[in-house]
Order: sequence, then structure tokens, then C-alpha cells
Amino acid sequence: MKIDIYSLSVIFSIIFMICTIELVRRNRLHEKYSLLWLLFSFILIFLAAWPKLLETIAGLLDVKYAPSLLFLVGLVFLILYNLSMTMSITKQGERIIKLTQELSILKERIKILEAEKKESK
Amino acid sequence: MDSKRIVVIIPAYNEEKSIKDVIEKIITSIPSADILVVNDGSKDQTVLRAREAGAYVIELPFNLGIGGAMQTGYLYAKQNGYDIAIQCDGDGQHDPVYIQKIIEPIIKDNADMVVGSRYLEKTLYKSKLMRRIGILFFSGAVSMIIRKKITDPTSGFRAVNREVIEYFAWKYPSDYPEVDVLVRLNNRNFRIMEVPVEMKVRQGGKSSITPLKSIYYMAKVSLALIINSIRSSKYS
Repeated sequence: MKIDIYSLSVIFSIIFMICTIELVRRNRLHEKYSLLWLLFSFILIFLAAWPKLLETIAGLLDVKYAPSLLFLVGLVFLILYNLSMTMSITKQGERIIKLTQELSILKERIKILEAEKKESK
Repeated sequence: MDSKRIVVIIPAYNEEKSIKDVIEKIITSIPSADILVVNDGSKDQTVLRAREAGAYVIELPFNLGIGGAMQTGYLYAKQNGYDIAIQCDGDGQHDPVYIQKIIEPIIKDNADMVVGSRYLEKTLYKSKLMRRIGILFFSGAVSMIIRKKITDPTSGFRAVNREVIEYFAWKYPSDYPEVDVLVRLNNRNFRIMEVPVEMKVRQGGKSSITPLKSIYYMAKVSLALIINSIRSSKYS
């Protein structure tokens, strides 16, 4: 097997996949988020391992340099994944704000209740 | 009118110099109202001064920004069954003398939200040229979108009724909320009204809008306006 972009992509994707699985195993990454990464690795391995398939698709799309399709797939995936990340951040941010507000209101209330309790003793 | 439960919400970030004076003036202006200071992670004596003056203080553990702090007040108002909430800055810019005037249309049920405007009548308030241009821009944009003349969309001197309290407790923009909520409320068919007030130049503290932030402010608020104008009531 000669070292070219295809074999490098396969090797990279396999290492990446192992890392992803390892992170899930150590509870450092949620299964929910790992699914997309694993799917991404599969697609990349699949495309890189069968250059014929990639070249056929490249030919259909009139892409002169077939491996650049690999970059395109990777790039599109990253952009979409980033969008979904910022969506999660938005949701988490909203939840953190709500929790902070509820907590602060409760804290003050407990303080007053405790002061009243002390007085009545 | 006395049967209505009223709370004045003061969002405060490093306002130790002015907060006591503001609270005392509110007590004089509307003795029946409760006063809530939401301390948005101040690093000075704001909390101490506010308690000394007799306000109920909620302390946020870190700075949530004006939107998050205001919403804390609305959440508190909702949970404690208030009928009317007034928002008033802690820097002395808003003169509590006008609180009665601002809540009047709410008590008479002529409006769901009342905004105190510097520009509805000729007042002594002098603003910097750039700020005036910015406000005129948003005034034009908001008035066009909601098809109702709004002269001072950035004013944070406001009063709302129970329905709006509940809505704000559920949803309130996290930063630069003033202009944004006008369109959101209009999308949900709430009635907005302006009354003329006199505003002062701040006594202490700093404006939350520094020159550097003003570009981000213009862009963010403009985007919020455009999105709001194509947002159905379901998402408002």
C-alpha cells in the first residue's frame, strides 16, 4: 500500500474513531455527541478506502482533483457540526441563566426565613 | 389602586454612589410599592447601600447582564403575585417622581406596557449627538415595524402589568433588551404606550454601552429587530 492522501485519510479516520470510542468509554464524551463523529469517521474511511467511488463521484461533479472532495465532505461536516454546537450552547446558556435566577431568588428567601426562625426562638 | 401590588425593580451593577438616593426617592414617590434591587455581580458596596435604604436585594452570583438581571426581577414579581412591575435604573437617570405617571395607564388598563420617553415632549434632557442619532434610527425602525410611533425605544424606565410580568419571566432577551422587547410584545398583541418623562444625566456609575460596544450594540439590536419582524407570535 503506497502512502497517499487516501491511505492517510483511512489511517487518520481510524485513529480518530478509536479516540472517540475511548472518550466515550472514559465518560468524557456523551454517546449522543459521539454518534455524529463516528458516522463522520465511517464516511471518511469509506470514501478513502474506495478511491474509485470517490473518483466516480468527482467525475460526475466535474471535480478535477478527486481528493479535494474529501476535504469538502470534511469541511461541510465541520460547519454543520459547529452550527449544532452553537445551538446547544444557546440552549445551555438559557438554562444556566434560568437556574442562576431561581437560585438567587431562593437564596434570599432562605436567608429571610432563617432570620425569622432565629427571632421566634 | 391601593389593592394593586406593585414592585419597583432596580437592576444594579456597581451603583453604590447613587442607589441609596434612588431607593429613598422611590419610597417618597410611591410608598405602597415594594422595592427590589437585583445586584448583577457588583464589586462595590451596592448591596449594602441598597439594604440600608430598605430595599429587598437579590444577589446574582455573577454578572448576567442587564437582560438576565431584569428577568430575575420579573421572575420574582411573578412568583410573588405582583400586579404591576416598574423597572427603574439605579444610577439616578430615571426620576422616581414620574413613577405615578408611568403606572397610571396600566392601572386604568389602557396599556400593558408603558415606556417613559425623553423625547415625547420637549425636555431639558441633552444627549450626545451619536446617541441621539442611534435612538432616532431605532425609533424609526421600531415605529415602522410595529406601526405605532415610539419616540424613545431605548428607555429602560418602564412599567408592565401582570400578563407582561408573566411573559417576561418566561422570556426576556439576555443583552440589550429594551428595543427588542417592544417588537416582541407587539408580535404578541400587547399594548405599548409612551408617556413623557424628564431624565437626568447619570449621577454615578457608567453606561453599559462603551464606544467600542456601540457597534456591536447597533448590529445586534438591528438584527434582533429584523428577525422579530419576521417572527410569528409563536416564537416571540
